[in-house]
Amino acid sequence: MSTGAQYVVAAYGVILFGLLMYVVVLGLRTARLAREAELLARLAEREGDPDRPREPAATP
Amino acid sequence: MTEARPGRRLAVTGAATAALTALAVYGVFFVAPEDADQGIIQKIFYFHVAIAIGSLLAFAVACVYGIRYLRSRDERHDEISATSVGIGIGFAVLVVITGSIWAKASWGTWWVWTDPRLVTFLVVLLLYAAYFVLRSSAEGERRMRYSAIYSIAAFASVPLSFYSVRVARSFVHPVVLTSSGANMPNTMLVWFAVSQLAVIGAFLTIMQVELLQRRADKALRRIKLRLEAAA
Amino acid sequence: MIAAARPAWTRQLRALLLKDLRLELRTRDTAVAMVLFAVLAMLIFQFAFGNRGDDLTPYAGGILWATLSLTAVLGVGRSWVPEREQGVLDGILAAPVPRLVLMASKAGAIYAYLLAVEVVAVPLVALFFVRGSVAGDLGLIALTCLLANLGIAVLGSLYACLALFARARELLLPVLFLPSLLPVVIAAAGAVNAVAGGTNDLSEYRGYSLFLAVYAVIFGLVAYATYDHVFDD
Repeated sequence: MSTGAQYVVAAYGVILFGLLMYVVVLGLRTARLAREAELLARLAEREGDPDRPREPAATP
Repeated sequence: MTEARPGRRLAVTGAATAALTALAVYGVFFVAPEDADQGIIQKIFYFHVAIAIGSLLAFAVACVYGIRYLRSRDERHDEISATSVGIGIGFAVLVVITGSIWAKASWGTWWVWTDPRLVTFLVVLLLYAAYFVLRSSAEGERRMRYSAIYSIAAFASVPLSFYSVRVARSFVHPVVLTSSGANMPNTMLVWFAVSQLAVIGAFLTIMQVELLQRRADKALRRIKLRLEAAA
Repeated sequence: MIAAARPAWTRQLRALLLKDLRLELRTRDTAVAMVLFAVLAMLIFQFAFGNRGDDLTPYAGGILWATLSLTAVLGVGRSWVPEREQGVLDGILAAPVPRLVLMASKAGAIYAYLLAVEVVAVPLVALFFVRGSVAGDLGLIALTCLLANLGIAVLGSLYACLALFARARELLLPVLFLPSLLPVVIAAAGAVNAVAGGTNDLSEYRGYSLFLAVYAVIFGLVAYATYDHVFDD
């Protein structure tokens, strides 16, 4: 490959790399969202459980 | 009010962008003729310029939604404005990097101060990096208001920066439209257009993805608040 | 026949401006510090670039405007200090002063500070960096200063308001202000260099001066379009 062509490939490679890095960022954000959703699901399930020991109600 | 199928719109935009990108790459490398002066290096320009214009479009959208926010005080307008700036910065980074590669290929050095586009995008990066510094310096309503004002002022700075560099250059070298200008044969111009459409599609796709993420984040936060209140 | 009264806003503008200027004249804090800073900046440039005894005449305009833009950051940062130090910031914001007048008065204060620094800085730059006489070009250099100051003052006034309530004000302001100021640096330095930097190119000077005027107009428009939203009400 001529040196010119190498530079062209490098330029398009950078763009591709940028796109893929964005996908990684998206993945990380989705992972965080999933974690939080999981946490909230567990919280919600516990709320619905009638046998769960409850904290004594705060006295006014 | 959320639409029933935001995913559907995203799928359409994303698929169209992917198709356009594939078409553009094919066209640029297998159909478009090679430039007489610069040879194969000129092929960098197709996406370099398309992303540059895409970046400016993103900042224009940010400015427009900044104005709309100031009129409506609707949080969603601020959201779109900020997201647009983020995408614009991402594109601008790509412009500077590909521009640097092109400079090395054309002139042998990784950086030149004589190309107005390259210098302008460096300034643009600094301009909009300040946007996020400003944003993090304030909270709530003020954050959105200040961001909107700055998105307008910064967008005014862009042509001023470009022309100041160009005017300075023009006194040293008379400005000539290069082959990346308007006198391009149609066989090249059409693939420029396709690349540009692909980049615009990418902008829209990424914008939708970002807004969806924020929506999910906000909904989760609402659930959290509700659950914590009930506990 | 009833004589037309002068509109209230001119009176308010004058009052605010005079208040700031009078305060400054009494204490002279800001102006003195800015001048000292400017001289120090020039020394930095000399030691950074001139140590080998090179002739820096072609760069004199650049050094002048590099110095002035950095000094301007100081001046802009100080433009709300009179209100803040006297604890009347809330008071003046609550007063029924049209916001445009308030911002214009701050722009006027910044303009005045810059002029004060330029009166010292321009002769010093000529002394330190220009080999040859600059006396004939002083008028043109002064005109450049007057034009460039307009854009800087309008820009600075707007951004000073955006940084008014920020926590890290001294950090935010330069980051906000300098990128937008770059075109002024390019044009003003270019204009001064065109007349004092060895050559004497009037068409170049005119081109840059026109740019400075356009810059001031555009940012004037931006400030005019957004001043309503800068303050909390």
